[in-house]
Amino acid sequence: MTADVYPAAGGLVERAAAAFVSSVPEVPADDGYFGPASVTWRLNGDLSAPLAGLRSLLVQALHPLAMAGVDQHSDWRADPAGRLASTAAYLATITYGDRATAQRAAARVRKIHERVRGVDPVTGQGYAAGDPDLLLWVHAALVESVLASADLFGGPLSEADKDRYVAEMTAAAELVGIPPGRAPSTIAELDDYLSAVRPVLALSPAAAESTRYLLDLPWLDEEMGGLWRDVGDAAVAALPEWAARLYGLVPREPVTEQRRAEVRQLLGVLDVLYLGEPGVLEARQRLELRMRQARRGKA
Amino acid sequence: MSRTEEGVPGEPRARAAAGSPRLRLSRGLAAVRLAARGGARYAGSAPRLFIAAGEHRQRLRNDLALQTAEDVAATLGTMKGVLMKIGQMASYVDDGLAPPVRRTLSRLQDSVPPMSAELAAEVIRGEFGAAPEEVFGTWDPEPIAAASIGQVHRAITRDGRAVAVKVQYPGIAKTIEADLGNVALLRSLLRVAAPNQDVNALIDELRERITEELDYEREAVNQRMFADYYDGHPTIGVPRIVDELSTARVVTSDLVTGARFAELLDWPQTEKDLAAETMYRFTFRSLYEAHAFNGDPHPGNYLFHRGGRVTFLDFGLVKYFTPDELQPLVHMVRYLCVDEDPEAFRRAMEEADFLTPGAPLPTEQIVEHMALFYDTVRTPGPRTMTQGYASAVARRYFDFRNPLAAYARIPRSYVILQRINLGMFALLGELGATGNWRAIAEEIWPFVQAPPSTAMGEAEAAWLARRPARS
Repeated sequence: MTADVYPAAGGLVERAAAAFVSSVPEVPADDGYFGPASVTWRLNGDLSAPLAGLRSLLVQALHPLAMAGVDQHSDWRADPAGRLASTAAYLATITYGDRATAQRAAARVRKIHERVRGVDPVTGQGYAAGDPDLLLWVHAALVESVLASADLFGGPLSEADKDRYVAEMTAAAELVGIPPGRAPSTIAELDDYLSAVRPVLALSPAAAESTRYLLDLPWLDEEMGGLWRDVGDAAVAALPEWAARLYGLVPREPVTEQRRAEVRQLLGVLDVLYLGEPGVLEARQRLELRMRQARRGKA
Repeated sequence: MSRTEEGVPGEPRARAAAGSPRLRLSRGLAAVRLAARGGARYAGSAPRLFIAAGEHRQRLRNDLALQTAEDVAATLGTMKGVLMKIGQMASYVDDGLAPPVRRTLSRLQDSVPPMSAELAAEVIRGEFGAAPEEVFGTWDPEPIAAASIGQVHRAITRDGRAVAVKVQYPGIAKTIEADLGNVALLRSLLRVAAPNQDVNALIDELRERITEELDYEREAVNQRMFADYYDGHPTIGVPRIVDELSTARVVTSDLVTGARFAELLDWPQTEKDLAAETMYRFTFRSLYEAHAFNGDPHPGNYLFHRGGRVTFLDFGLVKYFTPDELQPLVHMVRYLCVDEDPEAFRRAMEEADFLTPGAPLPTEQIVEHMALFYDTVRTPGPRTMTQGYASAVARRYFDFRNPLAAYARIPRSYVILQRINLGMFALLGELGATGNWRAIAEEIWPFVQAPPSTAMGEAEAAWLARRPARS
């Protein structure tokens, strides 16, 4: 792929930060679909979150129809940082926003999905972004990626918390248009779903090319690029074995304690950059206060 | 001296750096530079303040306080504490950070809340085996100041002594040690932050400094030395350490109240001049007589009292000089400022390893370059310190384009001394202090030992006379 297709675009950290800040309400009407006592709030603010996002894109791209939809309709090549930032903003809004704001954001996304239809050049199948099957795939890949990344590189997470997270996230599934009852609500259901869908998965040329680009982001300057490639290595290390195999990557060495510490140090540096953006600290403090209040209320 | 683009013959370091894309002040380099200045206020003249005003701010501080060792690790682990420390180092040596970088730095520092009363009490319990109210007669659970990787509480000991108790964040030593072990990441961050420097030497310096700062026992030893040395001094005060209430993570000393540097700025100029004179005397008497230099001339480390009395706080970073290390410095100032013998000055620089012997540069050029550092003591008479002078010194120090740069270096044992130029002169410049610095220096210079030149000098001479002979 040539440089013309991907115009220089930057400001990933700045734009993701601005999106986050605008998604955390100063005076929320209610606690939204998850609330300050949820596992979802905790995991979204975890150090491993950027890595989870990257890993989830890598997994999602392995569904040829989902990939075709992105490839043929999204403007992400024109503005990759903006595309990543708006996905981050959507997730932050439905997580931390009040219900009305979350519903408005979800309605916008569903509306965009209506126009995304076509034929996948690889399989010859028709697709529609609003198809619950495709939405379910994207949802499940995200949920599983958040858990896998937090497990490997994040804070401590109990088995019960993992189940709770999967259950909580069914609210996100319904917001985006997955019929109630269809999204997995336990780890076991999530695993079953992922096993069932596996025969459909493949590495299409569009997926190979896009993910190669994603792991490199050539428009980043040298220093940021180095950091990002290290984050990419960690995301690849967190991939499930079947996904790594589809990408043609040799099975990874298990992540050692030392490697885990190194990745967390790297994520810490990224977090400092993020924290340096206007409003991020205040938004985090607003969330932290509500989470502490919720803990006190429970105690 | 003007900077000329073409005038850089034989300056490999600077040229390599200028040609490197790493020299660009990219957003990425914020990763390290971000930390620069971060530490500058971190050692804090006041409890760290959150982004809120008045009472609300106080409530926020309490509500967001670090409650567990895990909170500490989340806030200062994963390189964040280390980045803050890099920032603290850079704050003395980096002139002219880009605004976004400065913003990132101050954000990082704002992101660290104080420990909760319970967590601070836990540290006391861990060190002394009893609750703070039992260890001390009276304990104020509300911290009065942020300190390096800790915070300061007030207390009254069982025998009625008012004390300041510096309490280290729990687990911080282990966390930071682990982060310092990631040399590869440190190296790439520092390469961005300091393209002109020897990165390995910087990492060594960083490790050493942070390890020192984490060791409160060492700090207590330093402070004891300074307190003993200046015992009874008319204007220099150093709080006494309470030995039995000090450990590796807790250091207890006499509680002293006084005005902060920011308040001093509003005092009459005569008061500022007197405070500056005391700071000046403290720095150079410590260096030339006690052979010790307190390397942290941060505004938060002073308390000011009317009449020129200054209390010196925080001895976490003290460098002791052997006579052999000190001698070349003495020679340099003597040959340049007193004997006015440029060739001898040049030889002294070479002997101290500041200058490559036989550098193809005329001596007068070397003198012209170096003279700025000695500007306040080269000629007699009153001089006013200005911020302009302080930043000119910093700029000259980092002028890697100067022809001299290729032949000059700062041997490692003298690195800390640059904080005189870059730290103390900045503070005196901010005070706009006027003094006859040359005359004061002559009182202290071992090769002159002139009679007192000011009223403070008279009082100091009387103190010296009544002091028991030093061992």
